[in-house]
Amino acid sequence: MSLRGKAAIVGVGETPVDRLGGKPGEPRKVTAEYLAWAVRLALEDAGLTKKDFDGQGLAAIYTTNHSQPFWPEEVANILGITPAVSLGGGNGGASAVSLLGQAAAMIDAGVVDLVLVVAAAAPFSEHGRNRAEPADTRDFEMPFGVMGPNCKISFVMSRYMHESGMTTDHFGKIAVTTRYHASLNPDAYLRKPLTLEEYKSARLISDPIRLYDCVLPANGGKAYIMASPERAKTLRKPPVYLLGWGECHNASAGPRFRANPLITGIRESGKAAFEMAGISLSDIDFLALYDDYVPIVMLQIEDLGFCKKNDKEFFERTDFTFKGELPIQTGGGMINCGQPSTTGGMLHVIEAVRQLRGEGGARQVAGAKVGVVTGLGAVNYGKNFGCTAAAILGKQY
Amino acid sequence: MADERREIPKPLPEITPVTQPFWEAAANGKLVMQRCRACRSWVWCPRPACVECGSEKLEWTPVSGRGNVFAFTVIREVVGRALRGFEKDIPYVTAWIDLEEGPRICSNIVGCPIEKVAIGMPVEVVFEEAGPGIFLPKFRPR
Ligand SMILES: [Zn+2]
Repeated sequence: MSLRGKAAIVGVGETPVDRLGGKPGEPRKVTAEYLAWAVRLALEDAGLTKKDFDGQGLAAIYTTNHSQPFWPEEVANILGITPAVSLGGGNGGASAVSLLGQAAAMIDAGVVDLVLVVAAAAPFSEHGRNRAEPADTRDFEMPFGVMGPNCKISFVMSRYMHESGMTTDHFGKIAVTTRYHASLNPDAYLRKPLTLEEYKSARLISDPIRLYDCVLPANGGKAYIMASPERAKTLRKPPVYLLGWGECHNASAGPRFRANPLITGIRESGKAAFEMAGISLSDIDFLALYDDYVPIVMLQIEDLGFCKKNDKEFFERTDFTFKGELPIQTGGGMINCGQPSTTGGMLHVIEAVRQLRGEGGARQVAGAKVGVVTGLGAVNYGKNFGCTAAAILGKQY
Repeated sequence: MADERREIPKPLPEITPVTQPFWEAAANGKLVMQRCRACRSWVWCPRPACVECGSEKLEWTPVSGRGNVFAFTVIREVVGRALRGFEKDIPYVTAWIDLEEGPRICSNIVGCPIEKVAIGMPVEVVFEEAGPGIFLPKFRPR
């Protein structure tokens, strides 16, 4: 089954992010408010109303701080929509890209004509209950003081530096480039340009991971709308088509008791997306990669095939700015725009849409026609990401 | 007494029917892991059935407890309320250790100055009591 050109993104919306924690007297918003706000912005962008979604598709992404088993139904109830199909995004940060294909499949099958995909989270203002952890984490990581993803991705980065010979200069180059893009993006949260020296002298969080290697947690909401190509042509904004898509979950490079943590499932999900799109690496104008940590951006560039594994020289010679030969994170990525829990994965879809519509402003990639978007979720014991998804989006199909 | 009462607890493993043999052996100073009788693969973390071939004939098998550091980190900040009990131990080392038999285990490196910990370092298991009857397998230089 191919989903090439079978659905298009016709609307996007994102609230500003904040880090308000609900201290006494401090203004505070809850998840439902960010959710409704993001949906209104996406509807306005598409020129649709909420009534248009009765009898259509609704997809809500589960978040870590505000989740219950009926979350998609609660979202329909909050918004006052009566969908014919309710999808749940249970792949963490990969959900936004996962749902691109899942929504397109529902549209292609003729079940619905429109799908509204929405995510919101307010980890600072709504602490929620203690989250339930996977059994491996609960029993074999937390008792040893493993501090969540910071610690687990530090294992990956420590091994990556050991095998590739890369240093803080290599990781710093990526951090400086993405901050430069954020400085050109009025919607970014961290906009002050970062120097390599500032990156290298920032405090260690979990060696070798430093402050500016890490994503920035935030409150916020994001939404996008998918439509059939026929419907898309009648709407306000130029459609952005799904050209290719793939998912891969619980990937294990090597035996499951000792996987290679430097290879992600993006190797498989990316390959599937390129095969579906029928294009090659040289057709790609920009990458919007899931970026909870700097080294993860680099592993994905390798796994998509833009260079070989541990290719130190490639990272030294390539210009990753929006004017360069391989633009990445053109809006600054989650590291600079904030990660409202699993909502963060929506950022890359929305930035890709902006670039392909030519709405990138000062950071616009000239003549952008095709881009890659990825999503990652859940860090498994002894490995890297459990959930991976990749999509190729384009102006035309 | 007052200090003891204020001490923030660290999370302990939940003993389940799947993991019970592991923790029982640990309490007796032995490191054991599951091995599949059908395909001979090691299975780690504990599972109800072999993750390679699906067989339920898994055998708890002693391993040497010897291995090498595959990757490590120095924890310098607490993240999340559930782990506040580790605040007083900071900085400390968590690591992935490749056991001689093959499986990779996540644990702490103990009995070694932080600056001496390195990838490839030979280590051996040592059990530390973490709660009533709960012994965690940790690793020290050998
Ligand atoms: Zn087996």
